Parts: sequence; structure tokens; C-alpha cells
Amino acid sequence: MGVEKVLFLIFGALAVIGGMATITRKKIVHALVFLVFTFINIAAIFLLTNAYFLVVVQILVYAGAIMVMFVFAIMFLDLRTFEQEEQTHRGQRWVALALSTLVLVEFVIVLAGITFVSARGGITPAAVAAAGGDSKVLGRALFDQMLLPFEVASVVLLVAMVGAIVLVKKEKTSDVATRSWDPAEQLTPEAREGED
Amino acid sequence: MGAAPTDMPIPIDWYLYLSAALFLIGAVGVLVRRNLYIILFSLELMMNAVNLNLVGFSRFHENMLGQGFVLFTLAVAAAEAAVGLAIATALYRNRQTLMVDLFDRMKG
Repeated sequence: MGVEKVLFLIFGALAVIGGMATITRKKIVHALVFLVFTFINIAAIFLLTNAYFLVVVQILVYAGAIMVMFVFAIMFLDLRTFEQEEQTHRGQRWVALALSTLVLVEFVIVLAGITFVSARGGITPAAVAAAGGDSKVLGRALFDQMLLPFEVASVVLLVAMVGAIVLVKKEKTSDVATRSWDPAEQLTPEAREGED
Repeated sequence: MGAAPTDMPIPIDWYLYLSAALFLIGAVGVLVRRNLYIILFSLELMMNAVNLNLVGFSRFHENMLGQGFVLFTLAVAAAEAAVGLAIATALYRNRQTLMVDLFDRMKG
């Protein structure tokens, strides 16, 4: 068994453990940390698959940007009150667990019977290295074969950004606009609690 | 069983098994947990499982399109996270809770 296989098994097991920890934690920040752990392990598996550019993107965007956004949103709300509540749906937790296990068993049975045949596209790691590296080849493909989807993705991101801003915008902004930025005129925490 | 002639050091089956496992962990999280944030985390986990498949097959078929696809999945995931968090914040502001079974005003 090659060293790649051993590393794949290690990182895969860690990713699964991280995923399971994510969905079982009571505290949301703990779940988030385990999710970042899972993402980094998946990035390691990308590394074993010679997808070097995606390793960087995975860590920057997933483990970095999206997770920081989650942390930022968590800090806005007081989520500690939810830790005392029941964490799972009373009526459907065992049914959902059983059905998901069943689907996993189906996956394994189906995959065990399939033999995949490589399409042999010719872009092997050796060919990629000869053509100037992973980022270069991926960039060529992205701006050549996938140019239209690339432009559409930018529109999707713009719509999401505008949508997010509109959704979290407060209905009444009059009292916010008149509030002073002078530190001496800021409300004390006690006064602020009575305000809303 | 996945014995196709290829120079891949890791069999493509392994990617599929790992991806299926991660995807179903995410599915269980969405179906079982009540907290809206955990459900969003589980969605991210499911998207990552799909990315794993795409990267694995990209290497297997010796093609760059799979990796390009991952970038688009990433863009969609970022958009989904932004809108999902905005909806969560708006819901919390209106109902003072994040437990999804309490959002039952539409009697669904």
C-alpha cells in the first residue's frame, strides 16, 4: 500500500470524525471549529489528488472566508440560550438516522459493483507539470472552456451580496442615523438594554 | 472493483466512499438538528463532499473541468452561506429563536 493511500485513509478518517463532531456538538462555536477541521482535512485530500490550486482556495475561501462570516454572524446573536434547549427533533431523529444509514449502505453496495473506466483526457500530473503547473492549466480551462459559467458565477455572487444586505437591513433606520459616534456620548450597556 | 487502468495512486472508489459518508453525515445534520446554524454547517459539509467527488473524478478522467466545477460550487456555497446567514439573522430578529421547528407561522 502506497504512502498516498495511507495518508488518504488518515485524512479521510479525520474528516469523517470532524463531520460527526460538527453535527453532534451542542455549542455552535465548537461545531464551527470542527467544521474548519474537516475542511482542512478535505484540503489535504485535494493535495493528494494533485489539485494544488484548489487546496489554497479551499483553505482561503472555506476554512477562511466563509467560516469568518459564520463567526461574525454568530457574534451578532446571543446563541447561548439555545444550548439548554433540546437539540434534535423529537419525532424524526431515529427515522432520519436509520434512513441515512440505509442510503449509505445502498451507496456502498452500488459502488462495490461498479468498475469505472477512465476517459483518459490526457491532463495527467506529468502533463500539467510540463504545461507550467496546476494554476496555469486550470486558469486556461476556466477562461476558455468555462468562460460563460465563470461570468454567471460573478452575477450569482452579486445577487447573493445584494440579497444578504437587503435581508439584514433594519426596517427603521431613523434612530441609528442620529446616534453620535463620539465616545463620550455613547450609551452605557444598562441604558442600551432598556432601549430595545 | 475500480480496477480500471489508470496511474492514480488512490482508487477512485475511495473518494466515492468518503464522499458518500461525508454527504450523509451532512444529511443527518440537516434532518436531525433543530438549530438553524448547525443546519447551515451541515449544508457546507454536503457541498464539500460533492467537491471531493469532482476533484477525484477530475484526476481520474485526466481532465481539468472537474476542478473548474469545484470553483463554481465554491461560489454557490459562498452565496448560499451569505443568504442563509442573512435569513437566519432576520428570523432571529423577528422570532427570537433559531430552532427551525418553531418557525411554523405558515403551518407547513
